[in-house]
Amino acid sequence: MKTLLSSSDPIEKKIQALTDDDLKKILNVFRQKLRFNDAAYLNSCVHCGLCADSCHFYLASGDPQAMPAAKLDLVNRIFKRYFSFSGKYFPKLTGSLSLSRELVREWVDSLFGRCTLCGRCSLSCTMGINIFALIRAARSALAAAGLVPPGLQQTVDTALQTGNNMGISKENWLETVEWLEEELQKEVGDSRARLPIDRKGARFLYTINPREAMYFPLSISAAAKIFYAAEEDWTFSSTNFDVTNYGLYSGDDEGAGIMSGRLIQAMEELGCSVLVLAECGHGFNSNRWEAPEWLRRKYDFKVRSIIQVVADYIREGRIRLNAGLNPKLHTLHDPCNLVRLGGIIEEQRYILKQSVQRFVEMQPNREKNYCCGGGGGQLAMTNFAKRRIEAGRIKADQIRATGAEVVATPCHNCIDQIMELNKHYKLSIEIRTICEIVAGALVIERRQSGQSTPGGAGIK
Amino acid sequence: MLLLKFGVFVSFGFSLFLLTYLVLHTFSFGKRQLHSKAEATRWKGVAYAFSLGMMPWEKESAAKHLPTYVAGIFYHIGIFAAIFYVLFTAASLSLSEAILSPFRVLLAVGFICGTGLLLKRAIKRQMRYISCPDDFVANILVDLFILSGFLFSLLSAVIPVFYILAILIFLYMPLGKIRHCFFFFYSRILFGSYFGRRRVLPHSQTSKS
Repeated sequence: MKTLLSSSDPIEKKIQALTDDDLKKILNVFRQKLRFNDAAYLNSCVHCGLCADSCHFYLASGDPQAMPAAKLDLVNRIFKRYFSFSGKYFPKLTGSLSLSRELVREWVDSLFGRCTLCGRCSLSCTMGINIFALIRAARSALAAAGLVPPGLQQTVDTALQTGNNMGISKENWLETVEWLEEELQKEVGDSRARLPIDRKGARFLYTINPREAMYFPLSISAAAKIFYAAEEDWTFSSTNFDVTNYGLYSGDDEGAGIMSGRLIQAMEELGCSVLVLAECGHGFNSNRWEAPEWLRRKYDFKVRSIIQVVADYIREGRIRLNAGLNPKLHTLHDPCNLVRLGGIIEEQRYILKQSVQRFVEMQPNREKNYCCGGGGGQLAMTNFAKRRIEAGRIKADQIRATGAEVVATPCHNCIDQIMELNKHYKLSIEIRTICEIVAGALVIERRQSGQSTPGGAGIK
Repeated sequence: MLLLKFGVFVSFGFSLFLLTYLVLHTFSFGKRQLHSKAEATRWKGVAYAFSLGMMPWEKESAAKHLPTYVAGIFYHIGIFAAIFYVLFTAASLSLSEAILSPFRVLLAVGFICGTGLLLKRAIKRQMRYISCPDDFVANILVDLFILSGFLFSLLSAVIPVFYILAILIFLYMPLGKIRHCFFFFYSRILFGSYFGRRRVLPHSQTSKS
């Protein structure tokens, strides 16, 4: 087996030190994570191999270990051995295996290091197996034994300990908002323009990816400018503002529930009616679809992506755009968690067609788009960085084929990965969020003093 | 011969019983209560999973591997034809020549396709990598079963072999990968349900520029 885990790697040391009790724990947690649908899927794989070409890791490397069927088989061998009659009594015939340190090493190397949980293989699967969900169940078992690659685990730990994945303090967050508010006021020429904090009863609670506050403040400004133009009634939370949830990737359901639970707490404390999620693919999937399952509760408020909100503003005429202000040729990268796993498919296209002069689709696109390689926690797992860049070649080729000068993508993980691909594969492109592009095309009329707007709309 | 005929029906019943048990046994893993609000009805997704979602113009893997996809379809038609043929014959019913002739074609094509898929598995490095003995055993058993059905349609002396292979297949079904004959439907329902309620599938704008 080819592995990127070296003997000096901390996780390799943990694998070496695994006791029989640890292996039992991994097995128990794996069993606890399985439900009837998982058991059905695990009984279904026929090893047809047709999923292979759907995976960017396999396409880029040609390595059979990267085939989704091979990754699923690592999980299935254990399922068969412990939870099926034939696997238990005819292991050689069925290929079932006992859980061992060697197999745990393969799990870590392949299930964390060769998969972005993008779900593309499921669409190609003859049987319709949700391979990514089973790989995540195995990741959960590894997480319970402390076998999450260090970078990813650190991101989860930081979020759990500090309230956001970058460890931004409340003071720094408030200072950033204050500074951005001043910038917005200058830009729109209106001293009443606000980036509201903890505004009780606001219609929207808007969340951000903490990377925006640290490295991409223009993304926050762009969203604020759009809210201003739409005269929206919105607010940030001073404490619970992080849309990301790396528990989705590490497999730590409990931690993931705590992280998403904070946004629910902010919604309830502030009495907002819609939780609006920033441009973050996995943040959307986590908070829209998975968090209610982690927390085992139904929400009594709506959860929407900023993409849906902006599309509504355009349709309703609440913002006006001049596409001529964005004359370059744009293409769109569909984040897997927002599109294939999230169901937000047409809104971003509608927005771009209204806000840029020239737009070209990647091929394939929408739910069939290739993962950029940055999902699944890959950006945080430095152990597997080499594979991540190699797997990203498929996306780089897709981008190059469009001839686009600008790649729009509503996800900061995707942006980070595509920025690296831009450098590595010399693509010479700009990478921007949808809100940044919309903000660049906004037509805002100067508001007269005393002019009121429905709902307060970011003006105090 | 009577014993073999009896064996065919007993093994067939045993297979159906165990396959049903295996499907029901999955529920011992517990239900998954969903709390997130659906964006669309799951049944549209399920309908898609069993119709358009299996077509080459919708399913990338089918389009990229058209010969394998087509071979797979004819292989399975051949299998079902052989099962129907053996049950019909064991019930002492006979097929008229008008029905038997197209059956022969289905069996012959099914056997050729099955053998082709077996060779693909044996020859291609990637296929060998993901294969276990069960993959080969199942494929060989089924190929021989279809072949024996084809030969029996021409030569009645082959009937004991046809029955014995049928019994072996029926007994093997719940143990190995052939169980997918039941789980295929189960998995496709789950697949359609998952993507249907998230409003991902069906999707009318698929891959259009």
